Amino acid sequence: MTDTGYVQALYLACGVLLLTAVVILWRRELAVIIRVFALQGAALAALAAITAAHQGSAELWAVAAGIAALRAGVLPWLLRRALVESGQAARETQPLVNVAASLLAAAALTMLAYAVSQPLVALAPSPATQAVPVGVAVVLIGLFVLVTRRRALSQLVGFLLMDNGITTVAFLTTEGVGLIVEVGVWLDVLLVVLVLQILTTRMRAAFGGTDLDDLRGLRDT
Amino acid sequence: MNLAATGLVVAAALGGLSAVVALVVPTRPRPVLVGLGTAASGAAAVTAGVAATGGQSFAVSLPELLPLFGVSLELDALGGLFVAVTGGVAVVAGIFGMSYSRHGIGGRSVQSVFPLFVVVMLLVPVAASVGTFLVCWELMALTSLLLVAAEHRQRPEVASAVRWYAVMTHLGLVSVLFGLLVFAARAGGDSFDALRRADLSPGVAGVVFVLTLLGFASKAGILPLHAWLPRAHPEAPSHVSALMSAAMVNLGVYGIARVGGDLLGGGPAWWWLLVLGLGAVSAVYGILQAAMSADLKRLLGYSTTENMGLVLVGLGAAGLFASSGQRVLAGLALAAALLHVINHASFKSLLFLAAGSVLHGTGTRDLDALGGLRRGMPVTTAAFGVGALAASALPPGTAFVSEWLLLQALVHGVAVPGLATAIVMPVAVAVVALTAGLAVATFVKAFGVGFLAKPRSAGAQQATESPATMLVGMAFAGAACVVLALEPAMVLPALARVGGVVFGSLESAVGGEVTLRLEGVAGVLSPLLLALALLAAVVVTVAAVRAPGVRAARREARLWDCGGGPMSARMEYTATSFAEPLQRVFDDVVQPELDVDVDHHEESAYLVRAVEYRRRVADRVERRLYEPVLAVAWRWGEAGRGLANGSVHRYLGYGFYTLCGLLIVLVVLR
Repeated sequence: MTDTGYVQALYLACGVLLLTAVVILWRRELAVIIRVFALQGAALAALAAITAAHQGSAELWAVAAGIAALRAGVLPWLLRRALVESGQAARETQPLVNVAASLLAAAALTMLAYAVSQPLVALAPSPATQAVPVGVAVVLIGLFVLVTRRRALSQLVGFLLMDNGITTVAFLTTEGVGLIVEVGVWLDVLLVVLVLQILTTRMRAAFGGTDLDDLRGLRDT
Repeated sequence: MNLAATGLVVAAALGGLSAVVALVVPTRPRPVLVGLGTAASGAAAVTAGVAATGGQSFAVSLPELLPLFGVSLELDALGGLFVAVTGGVAVVAGIFGMSYSRHGIGGRSVQSVFPLFVVVMLLVPVAASVGTFLVCWELMALTSLLLVAAEHRQRPEVASAVRWYAVMTHLGLVSVLFGLLVFAARAGGDSFDALRRADLSPGVAGVVFVLTLLGFASKAGILPLHAWLPRAHPEAPSHVSALMSAAMVNLGVYGIARVGGDLLGGGPAWWWLLVLGLGAVSAVYGILQAAMSADLKRLLGYSTTENMGLVLVGLGAAGLFASSGQRVLAGLALAAALLHVINHASFKSLLFLAAGSVLHGTGTRDLDALGGLRRGMPVTTAAFGVGALAASALPPGTAFVSEWLLLQALVHGVAVPGLATAIVMPVAVAVVALTAGLAVATFVKAFGVGFLAKPRSAGAQQATESPATMLVGMAFAGAACVVLALEPAMVLPALARVGGVVFGSLESAVGGEVTLRLEGVAGVLSPLLLALALLAAVVVTVAAVRAPGVRAARREARLWDCGGGPMSARMEYTATSFAEPLQRVFDDVVQPELDVDVDHHEESAYLVRAVEYRRRVADRVERRLYEPVLAVAWRWGEAGRGLANGSVHRYLGYGFYTLCGLLIVLVVLR
């Protein structure tokens, strides 16, 4: 792969990452959100694959394959299963911040990410580190999703967005993370998703819905 | 290896072994094995401590044992004294606990923590580096905390006591931690040797001293940081109370002597005036609260504050004399303080064990519900009597000797040139004298109301004597009291060596075998001859009363009862009524809350049906000092509740906004 081709491909993958994050903020149907999330997982895997191809490292290829399997395969599948089990509530009905404002906030967060990442980029300027702000922006957007969306499933997607963002930053700054580290992170994420899924099921059994604000009654007064 | 080293290693090994044994053996033999192991560990520690005060020393460094700073231990004369005292208390508490622990506290956790507590207390005075010292200090707090919590299922008050103790002991630790870390940072080393060589500016040395003094004074139950002591000591199981009140509080004194005297090398006069002042206030306030208290163990707890106060008066006076170059008087005051530490340990462990025996026999520790125990529990009554005599600073009591030495030092200190001594010494003499007088009243009340006269409740009526091992434990402690009262010259030479560690080469202040002769100043006392004279006087009086001629003239008759029928237990003095005159005298200080309800007959307002009198003596220092702080903390917590309304989104939002805010600040400032 030529250098220009590598840079183009890298930026394309990063662009897809950011775009999918924004789309997740925009759409309300949970099924669509999960599909977009799977696409983001694929973009992240592509990013890993591009780095692997650029460095010609077999270990990074393995990491890329793992990311593809987990983030574009297993996690969306788990989420979809949770959605099917939940039945009716397939839409994010009332986000705490409406969609238009959310998109504006995403723009602001992206700018903040660019502003904050400047010292990181300045440490070792290279095509890969130039794209670091994208990862930071995805983390911030993920956090924003966590804060503003009511459904437990959207919360889960928000958490996974943050994790995708962190992985992106890790890839772009270090040009490939060790397989062991990556595997550790995967296990963590998988465990969190499983735990949250059980929590969602329990919440539905207890409150008849997965609106997190129903938990408010659990506070001791 | 010399005797000091062997004893210390054996003590630590036996204590550790007992802790392991407690975990593996079944419930029935557990208290006996743990008690025996703890007592043996204590005996080994006494050997090591006595050898160390006799001049032997022992040092070991184990750099691999703890990460970063390792463990280094060194046993010298000062540490040896406290090791010996702790070991002695552990012997009697261990023996006492063998049967006392059978009732509700024979569980695995409590029984395995008990010997560990003893071992950690033995290690605190042996620690020879800041890191080791702080680790042992914290372990001591944690193990004692677990032991105080032992009976939390039986009584809800225990939980509150544990909370108080946990918070205060950790605040004390933080204070000591800051002080010693500043010290170690300035000295450029962590070992006590490096600290001794350090050359600190007076300001830094003062800060180090005050910070460590705060922490150590809180452990010794000194005002105004005493609030935990009258809560935690009564709520702990009685043999643990004995260990805490007779051994653990001493380590606060050890800390002040080690850091202020040994490591910082004396220091200016104001340090020791501060120590003396804190001690004097604590002594008077502690004994006053004890005199008001109707709870037997709470009374003993406040008496601990009083005695530690007296020790600090001695220590402060010694430091003051040393700073003005009066080596003889400094030696005398320090010997008095250290002798009082030993005496207090002996009589306070005896008293707490006797209180435990009373609790075991009657199920209550409320003096107003006791009385008449002399018939049911004769040995316990005798033991408490010996302890009460020892604590009340009357000849031939144990505390009398040390308080006499203290008074001698203070009285002769008046002659020392200087404005501070001229003002402080007479006041201190008055304080010690007042304390001694109040102590007599307090212990007459505790013994007279609690043990003599008629039983005031069914529990006291049916009291039975405690099992043999508990009596043996009390007997050992009682024997120690008697020996210390009659022959204090046994320990005084060792105390001179200890004094040399604290303030550097003090002359031996007290000499003589049977008769104590003060060196350098006028003063002679012979406790043994005094006791013999008293005994002779008693024998002569009794013989005169019982003489055949006198006896024949006596006739049996009913006690005159004003025609009100036979005397009942309700006509007796109670602890509350006995303390009433004192309460009136010190009304402005203690400010009791009185509640008198008079109930009249319906037919006539002049005929009283019932009078109900309730008195509560709240700790005034606590009310003025702690309640505002607690109120602020409470309000802060309430304000915090407003932030937390239970919405997960809100909690996530706090994180989000904080993160974004910080990032924006970063962008703007860069």
